[in-house]
Amino acid sequence: MREKETTLYIGPQHPGITGNMMVKLKVTGDTIISSSTHVGYLHRAFEKLIEQRNWLQSFTILCRFCVPEPDPMELTYARAVEELEGREVPERAKYIRVMVMELARLQSFMLWYAGQSGSAGLYTLGQWSVGDRNYVLDLFEMLTGGRVYHMYIWPGGVRRDLPEGFKEKTLKTMDYLEKRLDQYNQMLFDNTIFQKRAQGVGVIPKDKAIEWGVVGAPLRGCGIKSDVRIDEPYEVYDKLDFIVPTAEGGDIWARALVRKEEIRQSISIIRQVLDKMPEGEYYNRVPNPMKWTIPAGQVYTRTESVRGEIGFYVASDGSDKPRRVHVKGAAYTHGVTVLDKVLKGQNIADVSFILNSLGVCPPEIER
Amino acid sequence: MSNDLVLENEILNLIKSAFNAEGNVIKSRRVEVFVKKDQVSSVLLFAKEQRGYIHLSHSTCIDWIEEGEFELIYSILSPKDKIMLYVKTRIDRDNPVMENLDGIWHQLNTYEREMREMYGIEFPGLIGDKEFCLEDWDEIPPMRRDFDTVEFARKTFYQRPGREDAKDVRKTLTEQSGEKIPDFATKYSRE
Amino acid sequence: MSFFDLKGLLQPLTGIRQFGKKPHTIKLPDLLLNTADRYRGLHHNDLEACIGCGNCSTICQNEAIDMINLENIEHKDGDSGLRPRVDNGRCCWCALCVDVCPTGSLNLTKDYIFTSEDANDFLWIPGVDNPEGNNNLSFTSDTNTSLSMYQRVPMRELDGKERVKSFAEVVLGYSEEEARREAQRCISCGLCTNVCPDHMHIPEYINAIAKGNDADALKIIYDNNPFPEMCGKVCTRRCEEVCAIEVRGEAVAIRWLKRYATETAPTAEKIKEIVNPVIKESNGFKVGIIGAGPAGLTASYYLALRGFDVTIYEAQAHAGGMTMYGIPKYRFPLDSIDKQVDYMKSIGVKIKYNTKVGKDISFEDLYKNNDAIFAGIGFQNAWTLGIENEDIPGSIPAVDYLNIINRGDSYDVGKKVVVIGGGNVAIDGARVSKRYGADVTILYRRRVEDMPADWEEIEGAEDEDIHIATQTIPTRIIKGDDGKVKAIEYLKANMVADDKGGRPRPVAIEGSETILECDTVIGAIGQEADYSWLPESFKDKIEVKRGMMIVVNEFNQTGDHKVFAGGDAVNKTADAISAIADGYAAVIGIENYLVKK
Ligand SMILES: Cc1cc2nc3c(=O)[nH]c(=O)nc-3n(C[C@H](O)[C@H](O)[C@H](O)COP(=O)(O)OP(=O)(O)OC[C@H]3O[C@@H](n4cnc5c(N)ncnc54)[C@H](O)[C@@H]3O)c2cc1C
Ligand code: SF4
Ligand code: SF4
Repeated sequence: MREKETTLYIGPQHPGITGNMMVKLKVTGDTIISSSTHVGYLHRAFEKLIEQRNWLQSFTILCRFCVPEPDPMELTYARAVEELEGREVPERAKYIRVMVMELARLQSFMLWYAGQSGSAGLYTLGQWSVGDRNYVLDLFEMLTGGRVYHMYIWPGGVRRDLPEGFKEKTLKTMDYLEKRLDQYNQMLFDNTIFQKRAQGVGVIPKDKAIEWGVVGAPLRGCGIKSDVRIDEPYEVYDKLDFIVPTAEGGDIWARALVRKEEIRQSISIIRQVLDKMPEGEYYNRVPNPMKWTIPAGQVYTRTESVRGEIGFYVASDGSDKPRRVHVKGAAYTHGVTVLDKVLKGQNIADVSFILNSLGVCPPEIER
Repeated sequence: MSNDLVLENEILNLIKSAFNAEGNVIKSRRVEVFVKKDQVSSVLLFAKEQRGYIHLSHSTCIDWIEEGEFELIYSILSPKDKIMLYVKTRIDRDNPVMENLDGIWHQLNTYEREMREMYGIEFPGLIGDKEFCLEDWDEIPPMRRDFDTVEFARKTFYQRPGREDAKDVRKTLTEQSGEKIPDFATKYSRE
Repeated sequence: MSFFDLKGLLQPLTGIRQFGKKPHTIKLPDLLLNTADRYRGLHHNDLEACIGCGNCSTICQNEAIDMINLENIEHKDGDSGLRPRVDNGRCCWCALCVDVCPTGSLNLTKDYIFTSEDANDFLWIPGVDNPEGNNNLSFTSDTNTSLSMYQRVPMRELDGKERVKSFAEVVLGYSEEEARREAQRCISCGLCTNVCPDHMHIPEYINAIAKGNDADALKIIYDNNPFPEMCGKVCTRRCEEVCAIEVRGEAVAIRWLKRYATETAPTAEKIKEIVNPVIKESNGFKVGIIGAGPAGLTASYYLALRGFDVTIYEAQAHAGGMTMYGIPKYRFPLDSIDKQVDYMKSIGVKIKYNTKVGKDISFEDLYKNNDAIFAGIGFQNAWTLGIENEDIPGSIPAVDYLNIINRGDSYDVGKKVVVIGGGNVAIDGARVSKRYGADVTILYRRRVEDMPADWEEIEGAEDEDIHIATQTIPTRIIKGDDGKVKAIEYLKANMVADDKGGRPRPVAIEGSETILECDTVIGAIGQEADYSWLPESFKDKIEVKRGMMIVVNEFNQTGDHKVFAGGDAVNKTADAISAIADGYAAVIGIENYLVKK
């Protein structure tokens, strides 16, 4: 029997990833012929809202660009404003920021474990990792007063110093998580189901990856060593010892292997940072936020998140409000044009599996 | 090595002389060039094919309404030199048309669709749904500076009653003291 | 990898191990999660500490905070009487409101559970709706974490050793950069405007400075103060006492910012160019002003702008009143007075110097020839100390001494000077004497913290090595063989708590007589007005209360409706800005009386 071409819609209700978006598929049988991404379900005009708020007020909106990874947004914005203004950041704050970045990556990795395994039909691991993620959120709560949205890194440094007992608690949590990771990996990487589904699926060709705009773990999964933390070190990354893992193949499996190692690197970075963090100021205070103006200029700052590079193009006209803030997230390419290319020839059942491995976060696409 | 900005100056000077363009080395790893709008595609192609700027980081638009122009920015990166080059151009705000460049980087298709919707910039030949984020939008393109979000929210959404008793502090104080703030000064008052 | 990869099938089953483990979850409701010490939960506001500045409401980018009137909370100096109400349906718990609350009254608590079926319940007034929240504060601000800028940009001054050598101005003024920085600290609430006797538009002109628009600042200042450079240098600045930032830090330097703005216009012409005042056409009314002090000058300036024909009659040879003849030149230099008075003249104010009403011209004549009169006569006569030998050579009231020095004459104070009093006049007497090389001691009845003088003046005196002998009560002046002052005798005093709850009183300690040798005694315990110009026939209408103050209504109008009065002789506060406010109020009064009647 000849198979007929049909149109299928995946989403917009949480298509196996955090956030709403729709992938429209043309399929014959269960093979995808072509796909296109449709967004707009989460458009809240953040970039426009930022233009109407002053430089500090804007900072509270940033975390909402991407629920699983709010912190890199804060840092990237803060660094952009600091660069425009020429504001120095105290050394201690830089260490704290790196710690927050890595804690943020850690909790995001835990969500990735859940999403990646869940979209392969392996539900147990997701329960574990999301449960354990709460221990990281406990740390965030202790440090920032908030669990998911932290509003902690702001221009000039960080909002509050480490609370008493934070270092000890963090180290304990790291020890615990490290042990748990072994168990996770038994559940995922040693699992035939996962292996079979991940290998050779969702392949990004190495020679096209950069041109397609692939960043982060998906790029490293093509065997290309690229990470903003080493390419363009910010804060104190150049003083830390860590490796940027790569894997060959460009498939889901390769991306998973990269993340598997990266999560350990994050734990190691957190330990190093806690060890090396100097005493001193944590904040170079900005003036009265209502009268704070930033010299005219344009900058682009970028940060490595779990999903890849996050960049802020920030323009100031010298006034008390940003003239323009353009947020570039990994999902903007991964979730649209890259996805279209990768899905071609794949199985319908693999769509959310692939979406997860590409780190697609819909609110980041439409902002 | 990167401190003496050799590579930065090299790419800057190449583009400056080849395209008779203006530009600056902003700092280490950041170079900007200002080109005419019909030069953008040649500059991008030159940088991509001959100088290793194979990665399009992003593209965006700034509305300089006071000057009657949109500024378009194409940020491209050379993974080898680790330099980001901003190719900037300005187009007429009243007749906002820009060449469709998604043949150079396919992902520009998404950026262009977004700019078409949000700023009302036309890219002749651009393929893709007219609607990107918005649905049934019939106001002016919303990212334009003259689109008033607050006004839109007021007329579109229902305001819950119960907060009408809110007072303006400065005004309340003038009522208490009898102070009369002259009209020319109120622009400096709070809120 | 073969299809039947046994390890790959069995490994995941190791997860079964977890079965025997205790769950990580907790059981509700017996075990409510105890939130972190910094948790950002529901708001709490300390209603007593809150001053209703509204900064919380301004920063909130979700428009979650309204400022509203509450029962039982009345506005008072330094408190608008309004309090924040939070719409918890809008709040995102960013706590920016906490971080900009200058008083620290607003905080977030550990509480995060709140449910209600009625959406209106989510509008609530922190502190009123959760009084117990006080015990549960978590995300709080202190002066380190707060975004209020508690530290003032320091004012540069001549060094203490340097400045006693001359009458050069001590305060050097803010540079442009310093002024912008200081102006940024203001949160624009406007609480200060209520206590300013003249209700100057303080947040507006400060904001103009912060934005770099000095000319606008000057224009705004001139809206109701024509003598602002004087205020910028010597104002008593009660505004700064209620500054929202002052609650936990140093008040915004309102006075120095005004000074900065006025200094951007170095000449009378420049002032005129910037202020660019609208001078109305003559309305045909004539107003006579007695006294060219701040009160008289203010009334004249705004009357002239409104088309009145104004002439000031001034007993002395120079305008400025006590700001000219009282305030020493190192605080308020002559050219600064002249610049401002020249500007007033340039818009039509006429001044007749050396013309004392009641002597050179009669009050009756003035009354006859004018449509209205404004009297800004000030306090010209010093109170006496009431001690033995007060009238011998070497004993002089401070105002007389300062008058002699300020008009350019000289007075020999000798080597050792004793000044009696604790107000600004006493400090001025002391610091001027210091500039003539004397060794100066101030005798004051109470403690330093009780001194009515400006704290910066007291510090200034201390920097200049002036000794302040507190809790001392002078008893007599001792005459030398030459008939001049030889020494002063005083008693030491204890501070005794006042039964009626007033401030503590000094009570002399018996037998504590102390003698301090000196060449000059300067008394500075107060001044009063001279009413010799006011004919008896007017006194039934123009009432003078307890021999001192002229009684007026809110428009500074006396019982004789044609006669208005203001300044030291009328108000209780007896400072320059009150005199200016009186002058301004009288302008409205005179306009109502003559033009709009
Ligand atoms: C030593 C000293 C220091 C001071 N320091 C400060 C300070 O730092 N800050 C501050 O705000 N205030 C200060 N003051 C107070 C301030 O100077 C007065 O409050 C202010 O000058 C009052 O203004 P006025 O217009 O009411 O009276 P005055 O300034 O006293 O002016 C009255 C004018 O009327 C004239 N006059 C009086 N009678 C007649 C008449 N019959 N005919 C014609 N003219 C007449 C007088 O010659 C005088 O010029 C100080 C006062 C003194 C004495
Ligand atoms: S900022 Fe603080 S002091 Fe001011 S109104 Fe709000 S709660 Fe009260
Ligand atoms: S916490 Fe943030 S959102 Fe909530 S009331 Fe305060 S400023 Fe507004």
